[in-house]
Amino acid sequence: MMQRLLTILLLSCKKATELIDKKTIVRLSFRENIMLHIHKSVCVFCRQYEKQSHLIDEILKEHLQKSDPEQVPQVANDELKDKIFDRLKKS
Amino acid sequence: MQDEMNIEKSTETTTFWVQLYSDSLYSWALHKTSNKETAEDLVQETFLIAIKSFDKFKGDSNPKTWLFSILNNKINDHYRKSYRMPVVNNDTILDIFFESSERWRKDQMPQKWTDDTDNLLDNVEFQQELDNCLKKLPPSCFSAIQLKFIEEKKGNVICQELGITDTNFWQILHRAKLQMRKCLELNWFEK
Repeated sequence: MMQRLLTILLLSCKKATELIDKKTIVRLSFRENIMLHIHKSVCVFCRQYEKQSHLIDEILKEHLQKSDPEQVPQVANDELKDKIFDRLKKS
Repeated sequence: MQDEMNIEKSTETTTFWVQLYSDSLYSWALHKTSNKETAEDLVQETFLIAIKSFDKFKGDSNPKTWLFSILNNKINDHYRKSYRMPVVNNDTILDIFFESSERWRKDQMPQKWTDDTDNLLDNVEFQQELDNCLKKLPPSCFSAIQLKFIEEKKGNVICQELGITDTNFWQILHRAKLQMRKCLELNWFEK
């Protein structure tokens, strides 16, 4: 009985982290929310994971949205120019 | 006769644009895809589209802006395509982090990071580590992240566009996040 109750109430870390990231994309069910909440209240590593996962979200969002063609390192590629000229001639 | 003149003019102008802009288009594509061949292909396709739809280009807009908008569409198409590539070792990724009992492996348990996480992005070295970690992701994970964050779209909208289920998308994104977290911890926060 106790065993069953535990498996219902406590998620594994693998499932809990999955729900943490799932929550950023779709709404969790009531049951999923409760289970995640209980798991986090007893698991310091998954609490840590959630905090860091959210931080990474913020960082990536800012980093990827603000990147600007003028600011990336410029790489010259003369071979590519020749390839393009060839293809333009054929087209 | 008129048509021939037009074709000549579009070829001439496009050739001129290749000289002027192909390096910056290529640099951008390389930055966004982290792959030399992919970047070259995307830039070539950009110019082929430009010459075909030359009539649509309005002389009063900036050709560089126009070419970049074609290229950015191509880059997004590329993410969609590579996202659809089957994830090799889908479960192997999770096995790196969790034991068969589904608990964190000892060497993978998230460690406490320094609290000093404000203004991280002003730090050039951090940006480099972030890019390095992104580049190390498997293609489908890399593309899932790009699709999620580039255009501020809701998860379900992205899924509709990709013609995939939500489940698939957040599962791939989850694998991407596990790997990004670990990579940043090893290369930045624990250093």
